[in-house]
Amino acid sequence: MKKSFRDFLDDLEKAGELRRVKKPVDLRDVSALVAQSREAALFETLAEYPGWRLAGGLVSTRKRLALAMGSSENEVAMRFEASLDRPIEPILVGNAPCQEVVLEGEDADLTSIPYPLMHARDGGPYISATCVVSKDPEYGRNVGSYRLMYRTPKETGIDLVSPSDMRFYYQRQLDRGKPLEIAVAIGVHPFEMLAASYKAPIDMDEYWIAGGLHGAPLALVKCRSVDLEVPADAELVLEGELLPIGWSADEGPFGEFSHITGDVKWNPIFRVKCITHRYQPIFYFLQMPWENDWLSAPVTEAAGLRALRNASIKPVAIKAPVGSCGYWTLIASIRKRPGEGKNALLALLSVAEVKLAIVTDDDINIHDPDDLDWALTFRVQANRDVIIVEGARGKHVDPSVRAWELGKGGLPTTAKLGIDATIPEGIPKKFYRRLEYYGRDRVKLEDYL
Amino acid sequence: MSPLAETILRELHAEPRQFAELVDAHRDAKWRDFLRAWGEVRAADVLGRDEDGRYLIKSA
Repeated sequence: MKKSFRDFLDDLEKAGELRRVKKPVDLRDVSALVAQSREAALFETLAEYPGWRLAGGLVSTRKRLALAMGSSENEVAMRFEASLDRPIEPILVGNAPCQEVVLEGEDADLTSIPYPLMHARDGGPYISATCVVSKDPEYGRNVGSYRLMYRTPKETGIDLVSPSDMRFYYQRQLDRGKPLEIAVAIGVHPFEMLAASYKAPIDMDEYWIAGGLHGAPLALVKCRSVDLEVPADAELVLEGELLPIGWSADEGPFGEFSHITGDVKWNPIFRVKCITHRYQPIFYFLQMPWENDWLSAPVTEAAGLRALRNASIKPVAIKAPVGSCGYWTLIASIRKRPGEGKNALLALLSVAEVKLAIVTDDDINIHDPDDLDWALTFRVQANRDVIIVEGARGKHVDPSVRAWELGKGGLPTTAKLGIDATIPEGIPKKFYRRLEYYGRDRVKLEDYL
Repeated sequence: MSPLAETILRELHAEPRQFAELVDAHRDAKWRDFLRAWGEVRAADVLGRDEDGRYLIKSA
């Protein structure tokens, strides 16, 4: 059965992972409050916004991500990858909870929604938990996740600097001098967020991937003012268009998922035409950086698994460490045949903007930092087992790519590093035989206590 | 332009400010009123940014 955002809140509460806050809170303070909460937070009374609630920090830990996925913590990548093999077509419905309230014309006012201020150096209040849908006449529907910075009651900035399908769609419309229609769904199940984050092939509809994750079709509803469809059970939807102005409006800084306060960027502007929401809506904000990182990890890991399998390599385990924001590093153990340590590196380094890949044999527990260090120490010769690829696609939020030196709308490049920590070809495995304690299986300490 | 928007403009004329500094200076205002006023300032098309992300008034 397809679960909703509210179902996920119920799941969190049943697991003791949700804290309800009943006292009225100011939207200028919610981010700092969520940062202090060990549990996800649901603010039930918002000062100045009667009828609204606000949730944050829902997937700030791998435990809560696993709860959303319905899997163990070490199986989230496999779970995500498996769903990619069984996408489910969404269905279209006529009536939708997300359109219980419709605000058009002057009533479509962004100050009517609880727009929170998140970080000390942000360029304005932000909406961070978005599923943004757009369409291209040739390539079809696309769903991604993009932050929105408040500008005026009718306009937001939108971060569109990184390469993405929607950036491509926008560029095509810009070349025609036309706006790009978009719709922004807020308050959807983490499966929709994960699907939106996945870099699917351009002709693949991410709503199908979300259906695969749910094991049931996503119910979509037609938007009121644009020719797009959004999840029917979303809490809030913003409809409108990206103005054909190119990368010319200031946007940011924002507390990025890289844990860094970003820079001012030059981006397009989103103009809202219509706002729809549920009765008693729950505004969801993604608490940076942890929620973003934990949502990135399974997406990066699943992409790594796919890349390995496409290269005819047998992966055993994979990890996108949270220290790399679940995005820039991939560590995989494989069942290796000769040469496949290097092939695996090439495959992993092809994933998005991954800039460090480490490959081990399947006897290494990649989730144990000491075991990984051991493999790196004794199975690597730097002159033979390290590869560097220069000039690959990079990401603006990584300061080492010097994005500030680029012009408006420019795209950075990065160098990528691969470390083959598998047992080198030609070294007999006996040299890696682990020490064993004599009598290990015969004696027990408790017999002597 | 609302009195709050005019005040924000005067503050930005005096010196560049981070958005949060403007928010701090007007914590007594309702958040929604502040956002509306900020929207007026934005719509006036006079804002620039410095290298630290502070808002400033563009020179004519």
